[in-house]
Amino acid sequence: MNRALDENPLELLIRKLKTHHDLTPEDHRALMALPMKLRTLESQSYTIREGDRPDRCAVLLSGYAVRHKLTGEGARQIVAIHIPGDAMDFQNMFLGESDHNVQMLTRGSVAEIARGPLEELVLGNPNIGRAVLLFTLVEASIFREWALNIGRRDARSRIAHLLCEFAYRMATQGLCPDGLYELPMTQEQLADATGLTSVHVNRVLQALQREGLIERDRRMVRFVSWEGMRDVGDFNPRYLHTREFHAGPAI
Amino acid sequence: MDDNNFLDPLFRRWQRGVALTPEDKRAVAGLPWVRRPFSRDSYIVREGEPTTVCSLLVSGFAFRQKLVSDGARQIISIHIAGEFMDLQNILLEVADHNVQCLTRCVLAVVPKNAVADLMEARPTVKRAVWLDTLQDASIFREWVVNVGRRDAKERIAHLLCELAARLKAANPQGDGSNFDFPLTQEQIADCTGLTAVHTNRTLQTLRKDGLISLSSSRLSILDWDRLAELGDFHERYLHHAV
Repeated sequence: MNRALDENPLELLIRKLKTHHDLTPEDHRALMALPMKLRTLESQSYTIREGDRPDRCAVLLSGYAVRHKLTGEGARQIVAIHIPGDAMDFQNMFLGESDHNVQMLTRGSVAEIARGPLEELVLGNPNIGRAVLLFTLVEASIFREWALNIGRRDARSRIAHLLCEFAYRMATQGLCPDGLYELPMTQEQLADATGLTSVHVNRVLQALQREGLIERDRRMVRFVSWEGMRDVGDFNPRYLHTREFHAGPAI
Repeated sequence: MDDNNFLDPLFRRWQRGVALTPEDKRAVAGLPWVRRPFSRDSYIVREGEPTTVCSLLVSGFAFRQKLVSDGARQIISIHIAGEFMDLQNILLEVADHNVQCLTRCVLAVVPKNAVADLMEARPTVKRAVWLDTLQDASIFREWVVNVGRRDAKERIAHLLCELAARLKAANPQGDGSNFDFPLTQEQIADCTGLTAVHTNRTLQTLRKDGLISLSSSRLSILDWDRLAELGDFHERYLHHAV
């Protein structure tokens, strides 16, 4: 691969798409030719709000973000966590209004692709269309798993499942060397992702640590026992539909 | 199949979001559909199995569900006539969830590769199929919120409102407040992450408060505004107007 390709910010997105589907060098060029703007975003800032008309698609280049929705009473439910390489608005393609918010968890940067040219490319180019459709279908699979996680697992399994999913996705994207990763979430945010209270989250994290399953130092998390965490979290990566699934995770 | 009227509900739904031409409709009708009856509770798709077909629900109700390893079940979505149940699997090789009949159903089944080929040949069909899967995904997200951040009364009220709103959109000629409602209390519990006992108690409260009546597979919504307010229900996420 030549250097010019490596340097394009969308290379991260392409790497992610390729974990599910092959792209040709022509596909690379077509994706990289998409008109885009780079933006730096502060922690807590929104890339899209519920009710907005999505006119661009933000690809996360650095930092972390979450997709969330608010109830009428103002309670927040996080419905997905985003890591570098994720396209955060493929879910909004073809739709009139965003039904959720996307908010930065940390400072970070995004590449914003204009929606018109993106829609034209995915409808007109069969192979890129497949890769992007597949990406949105895998995201939908993750939403389904979250409904199961929150609806039918206890607090301990929910948290362990969330940590396993995050670790697995980070490892797939090459962002989790030696099973060590930064968890960019506060206990309150973890609670919002699992339908629990932050007190409950705190208790579970301490127990997982005490039992020697994970080690924590501020926001750094290390999996001491992948098998142990996988069992506690009832985690089966089938729903992530990565090609590595049969080979097992690299953590 | 000779009689293509079974596609009309699908076309009506798709046309909320895309402009299908007569050629698009003919091409969809020309797919090698096979109509098949399914008995109540039978499986349409099983988790872990390779996916080969797409199924359109012609009549009846169906649902998506997943199990945790100790056997507890979470229902992820309910499906009504005119909806595709496994477009979600169109490019996924192995199913990550189960799809099951809630009532006796008739399905129109087509090889998924035939649908994928048609999507390549017809960008409008591709857009419609894609939109369909994105609307499903929006409903999945809302269900995560429902089980994660609403109390029992709100969860059940929300579920009833959603189903009513979707049935109403599919049948604008209906009276708008009485619906077929095939879910048992146990299934309502599995939709909302509650126990059957809690569900029973909550349904009794909703009845006593004069919001609904529910008997022998019929749901009547007696006070839509109060039920929607209680359930924190706002239609935006259904994307009925794209």
